[in-house]
Amino acid sequence: MPPTSSQLLLSPAELSYLHSSLSLTPPIRPDGRTTTQFRPLVAESGIIPSANGSARVCFSDGTEAIAGVKAEVEKSQWRPGSTEQSLQVDEDGGDDEAGQAGTQGTGENSWISMSIEVPGFRDDDALPVFLSAMLTEALLADGKLKDRLWINRRFHWKLYIDILLLSAPLSYPLPLLSLTTHLALLSARLPKLKSEGDEDPLFDDDWEASTYLYPRDTKGACLDRPPITLLVIAVGPNFVFDPSKEELAVAEAVIALSAGTSDASTLNKNLRLLSIRTIDPPSRLTPLGIPDALSSAATGSAPLPPDEQLAAREGTDEHGVWNPPRGGMKRAVLAQIIKAVIEPGGVAQEVMDGLMHVEV
Amino acid sequence: MTDRRRISGPSVGTAPPIFSSTIVGAEKAQLKRPVRTRKPSELRKIFLKTGVTPSASGSAYLELEFPSPSTPSSQKKTFLSPSSTLKLTCTIHGPKPLPRSSPYNPSLLLSTTIKFSPFATRYRRGYIRDTIERDLSAHLETALRGVIIGDRWPKCGVDVVVTVLEGEEDRWCGDELGGGSDGVGGVGGWGSMGVLAGAVTVASAALVDAGIDCVDLVTGGVAAVVGRSRSLGGKAQQGDDEDESFVVLDPSPPEHAEIGAACVVAYLAERDEITELWSKGDAGVPAEELVDQAVAAAKATRNVLVEAILETAKLKFPDAVLSTGKSGGDIDMTG
Repeated sequence: MPPTSSQLLLSPAELSYLHSSLSLTPPIRPDGRTTTQFRPLVAESGIIPSANGSARVCFSDGTEAIAGVKAEVEKSQWRPGSTEQSLQVDEDGGDDEAGQAGTQGTGENSWISMSIEVPGFRDDDALPVFLSAMLTEALLADGKLKDRLWINRRFHWKLYIDILLLSAPLSYPLPLLSLTTHLALLSARLPKLKSEGDEDPLFDDDWEASTYLYPRDTKGACLDRPPITLLVIAVGPNFVFDPSKEELAVAEAVIALSAGTSDASTLNKNLRLLSIRTIDPPSRLTPLGIPDALSSAATGSAPLPPDEQLAAREGTDEHGVWNPPRGGMKRAVLAQIIKAVIEPGGVAQEVMDGLMHVEV
Repeated sequence: MTDRRRISGPSVGTAPPIFSSTIVGAEKAQLKRPVRTRKPSELRKIFLKTGVTPSASGSAYLELEFPSPSTPSSQKKTFLSPSSTLKLTCTIHGPKPLPRSSPYNPSLLLSTTIKFSPFATRYRRGYIRDTIERDLSAHLETALRGVIIGDRWPKCGVDVVVTVLEGEEDRWCGDELGGGSDGVGGVGGWGSMGVLAGAVTVASAALVDAGIDCVDLVTGGVAAVVGRSRSLGGKAQQGDDEDESFVVLDPSPPEHAEIGAACVVAYLAERDEITELWSKGDAGVPAEELVDQAVAAAKATRNVLVEAILETAKLKFPDAVLSTGKSGGDIDMTG
């Protein structure tokens, strides 16, 4: 499941060293960051003139992604039993106000389509499929975006979000793709609708008059923001945000959490958790260390047969000898991670505020 | 890999039949919605049996109880089944040596496949795996990788294949007519979460049957936050339940008009650990509470799993069971 290039060729001794330094309180990370600190990144948005919204994000480890948001008008599928349809029958005799009252319909999940291109992977490989499913379900979970794509009863916008990972996936690329999508959607604009009611839609060709997909107030501050997805690893009792590839190699559990704004007007206060997924940590595939007592090179005795060596290895829990993690994640650690993400002033809040400073 | 030798079905999918009896009006049609008769904390009855496929090294079959229809079949105006259930079969092939050409692998190479049969749900699935099936397979792999002690089989591979004979629907067929969120095509809807939980349990039973060493028995559980059914509009429903969302275990999506959030866990009861967690939706309740409820569902499922395994173990090793008595979760016993 994890990208093959993310499996570093680290020796069991190196893995054990990394693991024990990350298990300390407070944990010591290889690059000296604090647990909630992110790597510096370069971001710009609105870079593709032919897309409705676009962004480019470059992490300091050299991974880079471009996202483009394109919107197309599409005919809606007729639903014979829909509540809107019965509304139409009721209000048919009424004047135009009836049409005005029902200006907002409900959207469908299939109106948002996401594709992720990762170099070296086919588009039906597990990694791109998993990444796009994760990002799509976060976008759909807040339920407001798809309703904004509704034009009238006969037409809707179909939103295509295409993400291109330009570099090889060195570490798990989920945070990079999520931040790029976030910026691209923030900068996405839809042309202003000129037609009324259920006419064939006609749009204002003045791009200056277009409206943001995520509405803003008169001063340009966002009223709503796309969700972001963060990657967290758990090592022992500790958890670490934005793991580098070395840290991923010793993680006991990897989880991706999506947080979005709540629909209340108190925008910056409350973030809500929209989705959680565990990801298979690459550490389970690492080679296990052999303690000196069992190593034929160290003791000079004849090596044990494989099954006996396995049995002798099983009971040992020597400090400094790497054991690939078994089992899952403790529930207490999970609760701590959730709290750290969504609490007011938490990590998700901090990342969102940081991304707001990117010039459109 | 596209299978060129097979003639696949239409790529666009076929429309399900729409019956005029269901178009009478959204309000009236809501009365036909299947009703959950279980308590919120009560699971559907589970049938689980291991060793059903003789040619596989391990196999299991899981079926959920089909809810009794609220109206007798003589009065039914539609032959679309209103509620849905789950029928899963899992086969395990291996551990078997990897081909010589493959690179060295220090632990067991696990490959998981969840495939819906074409007739499993209302919408036909093609023979080529779609994104939902691939996504579910990745989830199942995460759930199982944590329990299998992989370093005991270097240079080996094992295939876990779960076939969905009947899958949980994403929503009630009456809701399809009313538009709204479309569970088909995009990311898996609510039904796929129940399928995943079942797949984890059935794969766990099959792993035991195959005799693959595991740290614990893993079981799947689902919990969902459901709201009152919106279109009943204060019919003969209990007034106090309105505007309130509550958590139910083992939800059957057609029974609920609104599902706010759902959570699947793969849970190791002995170790109190979670190997797989998949939660989505904007829950009114805190996420931790939803996870706890899903864990409660997984704990309840574990009882069934242990019983099913003991039953097979008694058949396979009558002497061992007599001498050791009931050794509940000792899964190496059946190997």
